[in-house]
Amino acid sequence: MLGLAACRIGAAATRGLLHTAPRRAAADPPDPANSKKRFNPELLQFLVCPLSHKPLRYEESTNELINEELGIAYPIIDGMPNMIPQDARMIQKEKKQEESEENQH
Amino acid sequence: MAVVVIKRCGVGLCHRLCGITGRHWFPRLQHTDRQYIETQFGFERVSESEKREKVQQVFDNVAQKYDIMNDLMTLGIHRLWKERLLRLMKPYPGTQLLDVAGGTGDIAFLFLDYIHSQREAQMHRDLKSWQNLSWLEISKSYQETGQDLLGGSHAVICDINPKMMTFGKKKAQQLGYTEGLSWVVGNAEELPFVDEKFDIYTVGFGIRNMAHIKQALQEAYRVLKPGGRFLCLEFSQVNNPLISRIYDLYSFQVIPVLGEVIAGDWKSYQYLVESIRLFPAQEEFKAMIEDAGFMKVNYHNLTSGIAAIHSGFKL
Repeated sequence: MLGLAACRIGAAATRGLLHTAPRRAAADPPDPANSKKRFNPELLQFLVCPLSHKPLRYEESTNELINEELGIAYPIIDGMPNMIPQDARMIQKEKKQEESEENQH
Repeated sequence: MAVVVIKRCGVGLCHRLCGITGRHWFPRLQHTDRQYIETQFGFERVSESEKREKVQQVFDNVAQKYDIMNDLMTLGIHRLWKERLLRLMKPYPGTQLLDVAGGTGDIAFLFLDYIHSQREAQMHRDLKSWQNLSWLEISKSYQETGQDLLGGSHAVICDINPKMMTFGKKKAQQLGYTEGLSWVVGNAEELPFVDEKFDIYTVGFGIRNMAHIKQALQEAYRVLKPGGRFLCLEFSQVNNPLISRIYDLYSFQVIPVLGEVIAGDWKSYQYLVESIRLFPAQEEFKAMIEDAGFMKVNYHNLTSGIAAIHSGFKL
């Protein structure tokens, strides 16, 4: 049994070494400026807000994904949307305005 | 507004939204079951929020050396395990994959390779069957193959740790994986994906780090299409007493030392070893998957049960 395990380990090690070489030559040279940093809107077909499970809107100006209903904005960093509610931003423009108005009165 | 939120999404949502604003609009939920609040971080007992932070810290620390440490710790065997996962998965061109906790991209890359080879075989078969083609047909076939080498397949990688994903993305770029791959920072316990969207859900060496495994399983069930498959590769319980002894010795005496020497981080690797011992054994985990609603649940032991692949279908 141990011998067998040793054999497997040996085989694995050689395979491991083989795999360190790139598996596949790059078909298209990657364009870091475009494809890597920018958000791909096609991803929106998969994404929803993790809290309400409702679709999101991509806001290009702030580079965020917006849940209008709950007023939450999820940031996109390096083209990767961060969909963790604790890292998101609350949009409460109207509410804040109302509050400040109330305070003034 | 607060009242509306309660009505729409229930108390759980409010509880989580409080985290966003940093304000508590409502008293925190008091769970009668203390287990729910406290959880295990390695052999230590910590609160759930602490676990999230600590796990994050572990992976922040190990991200840079993650691949090399995996190769060293398992002597490269983790690659064989992942290949076995792909052979069980047998994806076909068009398969939509969600790889959770797949930060460094290993499973997704193997998936894309597999689809490529399937697609090439398919094209080869097509070529054989076409004996008398007109020029028009030939040019058309070239256009088709040039357009979509993946046959519509897509892999979405979702990981809670942005640092791991940044390394994964770099690796993808170096290895030339540009098409059919997306990266999303997200929590497996509240996935940011549409219901019934994916054919396959995979999680490789990730589920034991989650605070609520049950919730993660329910989320897996939600995002899978009917007929979709859940596949989990995770460390498990060794079933051979002799190997178990050697494995224990290796885990507790060698791995933290390796961690210290290679990555300069004893504690993180100590945690990894401890978390492996605390993860439910094969049968127990199988029952948990069944409880989440999956059918035809089974598992395959790898290397005497050091790891196991659990599989279940949403029917």
